[in-house]
Formats: sequence, C-alpha cells, structure tokens
Amino acid sequence: MKLAVYLSFGLLAACGAAPGIAPTAPQPLPVAKTIAIDTTPKERRRMMPPEVYLRAYMVWFGGLAPLDVQARAKGKALFDAWDDYLSALGLPDYRVDLPRQMQTNTLMLATLGRLGEALCMRAAERDLHGKPPAIADRVIFAFEVVPTPSADEFRDRFDVLHRTFVGYPVALGPADRLAKFYALYQAVAARHKAAKQPLTGDETAWAAVCSALVQHPETELY
Amino acid sequence: MFTRRSMLQLLGGGAASLALRRPVWAAAKDAAPGEFFIFIHASGGWDVTLWADPRNERKGIVDPAGTDNTDIAPLTHWKSTRLDNDVDTFEILAPKNVSLRFGPGIGDLFDFRERLTVINGLAMNTVSHPDGTAFSATGRHLAGGRPPASSVDVAVANELGTDQLLPAVAVQYPSSFIGDRLDRRAVPLRVASAATIAKSLTRSDAYLAADDRTAITALLTDEAAALAEQSAYPETYLRAESQETALPKLISGDLEKAFTQKALQDAYPKFDYKAKSQGQGALSAAFALEAIKRNVVRCVGFALGGLDTHNQNYKQQAHTQQELFGVIARLVEELDRTPHPDKRSAKLADHTHILVFSDFCRTPQINLSGGRDHYPNNSALVISPKFVAGRSFGKTDVEQLLPADAGLGFSDGPRPIAPPDLLATFVSAFDIDPRKYLRDGEVVKAMLR
Repeated sequence: MKLAVYLSFGLLAACGAAPGIAPTAPQPLPVAKTIAIDTTPKERRRMMPPEVYLRAYMVWFGGLAPLDVQARAKGKALFDAWDDYLSALGLPDYRVDLPRQMQTNTLMLATLGRLGEALCMRAAERDLHGKPPAIADRVIFAFEVVPTPSADEFRDRFDVLHRTFVGYPVALGPADRLAKFYALYQAVAARHKAAKQPLTGDETAWAAVCSALVQHPETELY
Repeated sequence: MFTRRSMLQLLGGGAASLALRRPVWAAAKDAAPGEFFIFIHASGGWDVTLWADPRNERKGIVDPAGTDNTDIAPLTHWKSTRLDNDVDTFEILAPKNVSLRFGPGIGDLFDFRERLTVINGLAMNTVSHPDGTAFSATGRHLAGGRPPASSVDVAVANELGTDQLLPAVAVQYPSSFIGDRLDRRAVPLRVASAATIAKSLTRSDAYLAADDRTAITALLTDEAAALAEQSAYPETYLRAESQETALPKLISGDLEKAFTQKALQDAYPKFDYKAKSQGQGALSAAFALEAIKRNVVRCVGFALGGLDTHNQNYKQQAHTQQELFGVIARLVEELDRTPHPDKRSAKLADHTHILVFSDFCRTPQINLSGGRDHYPNNSALVISPKFVAGRSFGKTDVEQLLPADAGLGFSDGPRPIAPPDLLATFVSAFDIDPRKYLRDGEVVKAMLR
C-alpha cells in the first residue's frame, strides 16, 4: 500500500505543470489577392410549369382556392370555368384522357394573360371601387386612389404593386420603368375618364397597371 | 393576314419557346412551301373488316359483320347478301375504276375513292390503346409509358411550319414533342376542344379596350427589350419582346371570333355537328379548315372517336365509321372548293395532305359479348396528291386477319408494312429526311407519285 502511495507521488512529481504560453493579440490574415466574384446568373431565365403561375395568382389575389378564382373571375366575359381551360393551361384533362403537356406553349401564355387580367379587374372592383375596405384589408391595391396623381404620388402607389408582382422595390428597377408605367396610367385614365363602365378612369388605370405587371417579363420569367 | 412572325409570338412560345434553341436541322420548307397537313386519329381501334379490308365470308377465325351483330338501318352503303341461314352480311363495294375494295363503313368517302390511298396489314405488335396510338403517331412503342419520339405532326411542323402563326395544333390528337433538337415553335398546342383556342384568345371589353391592351403590350415590349440589353442571356427576353409585339394582333383581331363554335358552325354548315359520335370531331374539322384557309397553321391534328366497341355497342361500329368517314368526306369537299391562301388558281385540296390512322384494329371473331376486342393489325388512309391513289398497299392473311408480307421488297426481307414505314414514306414525300425523326421505317417509294 505504502509502495503505491510513493509511486503516485513520484508520478505526480514527474508530470509537473507545463510552462504557460503567453496570450497574444489576434493578427489579421495576410491578404494574398482579391477574388472577383461573378454574380451574374448562370442560366437564362425561363418560364415555369403552369401550376407555379396559378399558385402565384391565387396567393397574390387573396389566398384563393381554385374555385374562389373561378367564382371571382367569372362574369362580363372575363373568365369562364377552369374546365374550359385545363388543356390550354397544359394541365391534364381526364374527361377526354388528355395527358399533362410537358412543354409550355403559346396558348398557355394567352390563357394566363386572360386570367391575370380578369383577376386584376376584380381586385380593382373590390379594393378601389365604391366603398372599399380599409387599406390593411385590401388584397392588391393597398393604397388610397388619388385622382390624377402626380408622378410622386403615382410612384408611391406603383411601388406597392411592383413589390407584389415583380418582387422588389421599383427604385431598384430600371430607371425609366416608373415613367413608362406612369405614361400607361395616364393614357388609360384619360381614355376611360368619361366612359360609363364598372370602374372609374383612375380605377381602370390602376387595373391596367396591375394587368401589365402580372404579364411583365420579370414576373413571368424565373 | 397573320404571318408566323406576327404570331408565334403571339402569345409566347410559352415557357419553352422563351428559352428557344435555334433549330439544328436544315429546314425542308423550301422544298414544300404552302403545304398543309391534317392528321386524324380514329380513336379506339376500328374494325377494318367494315371498310378497308372488307370480309363478308366465314373463313378461319373471321366472323364477318352481319345483321345479327350490326345495326344496318343507318348505313347508306350496306347492301345485304346471304351469309348464313337467317343472317345477312354486306356486299363488298368493288368499284371498277379503282382497285380498292370497301366495306359499308366507308360511307360518303366512297365517292372520293379515286383519291384514297389505303394501307392494309399494318403490323402493330400491340393491343394497348396508348401504345398503339403512340406507335401509329410516332413510329415507336411507348417507353416507360411515354412516347420516346416526336409525333409525325410535330416533325412536319418542325420542318415546314415554324414560320406559321400556329405551327401545330392538336385537338385531342396524340402529339408528342420529344428531344432538344426541335425548334420550340413546333411545340404543339394541345387542346381538348377547338373552341378552347377561341376562349383563350378572347378578352373582355367591359373594362379595358383594345387601345389599352395595345398600350400595355407596347410597354411590355419596351421592358423586355430593356431587360434584354442588361441581361447576360438576352435570348429569353428577346423572345418575350417579339411575343409581346404580336400579342395585339392576336387578341384584338378577328381570329378568336372566327374560331368560336358558332362561327365555325356557321362557316361550314355541311358538317353534321349533332352526329352521334363525331359531332365534336366535326367541329375540329371545321377548325382545321378555317385555320388552313387563314394560313395560320401548318399542321392540325384531331381525333374522331367512338370506335372501342367491345360489347353490344359493336352494333354501332359501322355507323360510327360511316360518320367518321363522313367528316373526312366533308373535309375533302370543302378543301376542293376553297382556294389556296397563297397560290393563285390552286385549291386547298391540291396542297393539303391527310393522314388517318387508328390505335389498331378489332378482332376478326365476335366475342361472347357481341363485340370485337383489340387485334394487332391495322389499316390507315392517306389522301394526298403526293401519294398514288385509288389502290391499297399491304395485305392480311385470309383466315386470321393478321399482317402478311406486303410484297414491297423491303431491304430487310419479306414483311408486312409497319407504322414507321408509313410515317417515313409520308414525311419523305415532302423532302423531309425520315431518319431525322424516325429510328425505324423504310420509305415505300411505290406509294409515292
């Protein structure tokens, strides 16, 4: 027993504490060279399967179910029923044993344009016309309509739509985009100012801006 | 008049067409300008013994159509002759001016017999609807449930139709666009009904006017052009720009109005739109005529159905065929009296080529339910100025109705004609190299003029 105790003390004495290393301040890594990072897209933009667009439309226009879309867009020759457009959208139509289409085509784009325009018109009716809901409850046009808006007034409102459909503030887009859409707004508003129709001139103009943004190349291409 | 440039675009080559690739193959369009094509799928599998390969005797396993299994009342070309004790069958139509023989199902198309090319004894090697359909349309059997090759209408559209507004329209026709070497403009517009096209092009005038849409598309054209300038890959934006340019012509013109169901029925009243089996098919035929007349398409494919008669509905097979060939007869009549949109003093019939096929044919024997099931033989019909008309090619054996040696001297020895041979012959008639689109098949020069 004593032998074990002596051996233990002996070992402890042999393994004495190592000499300490004095702390030093961290040094910055040496700069070897600057690497340019290519951030350009490596694939061309393309369109997506029709479900992607349909889903996007339903989310944009109020989290709608497909039957809600049909009910909302129907009437005044804006839209009919989904059944009429299944194959035109590239979706399978089991009534006639028509399979899903593996490539998108021109007719699909035309059909999506028809649907987008219908939903914009209905959204303008809901959000802008008559006694519209509070701004917080609006689906697309979350701003107050100003009759004959100035360029600045238009910019603030257009930015709301631009963020919704294109996905980023209009200030980050091409410099002349705002002017182009303002010109469109003014032309449509002037054309419909005196016309007797479901929407006022300004409301129709905002609906036209919405319709253009829904079909905008940056909205359609991914 | 719309041109290919003014449309294709029209709405967009779609997803795909926005990411176009240039066609790799040299186009054959210079060799066959101003030609139009109509492809018809007789859906369900037809009984060839009632029209192209008529049988009116009991031989081997062949049970001919008779008054005990066929409703002959509506048949205009049924002339009875004794089969058994109390059962009559039909007399075979054997006109003297051509070597063709027909059953009563041919209906009114019998009047155009001098212009018909019939192919009998097509070796199908399948009795599955999807497989037989794909084999007839593409020359290839299905692989993994999908066609492994492009269909004949897409091949023709790719070679001859990319300058048209609508290179290929398929109304319930089994078009397939396969491969990355095709021009994306040849992607077929596949729709369930001809009326769908008009609906998709229609825009309401309750809110926006045509001028508004013109302004919108002008703006979007500018935007696409500007984005193309900034993009490392401008092709897609440039395609979008051209599509936006054409959009107003498409949706604000009279095109959509001409393609509505009512407009088509008014323009072509001779079709029977209330026909029991082929009313919808008649509308598709009217659409094909109108689209060709307006020179906005190159290929139109559509289906005429109601032929899958396994049970007592076989009684209607002959009548269904009569309606089917009646639609084709009206189509030929209209093509005869319609001037070609480009060629002076030419009629459309001189430059329109029709190919009709089915999934397969039906069994020579009547089953226990009084119908006929699927059988790996087939017939096809061509109506084209490029083909030798008034005669048939290929044959079947007398007792089993199975494809037999066609006697055409195929390079791989005696054998029947198969769908790839027919398709290869068809495309070669327009100076299209069959090997670009068909793995198999041999051109039968004897069929061509």
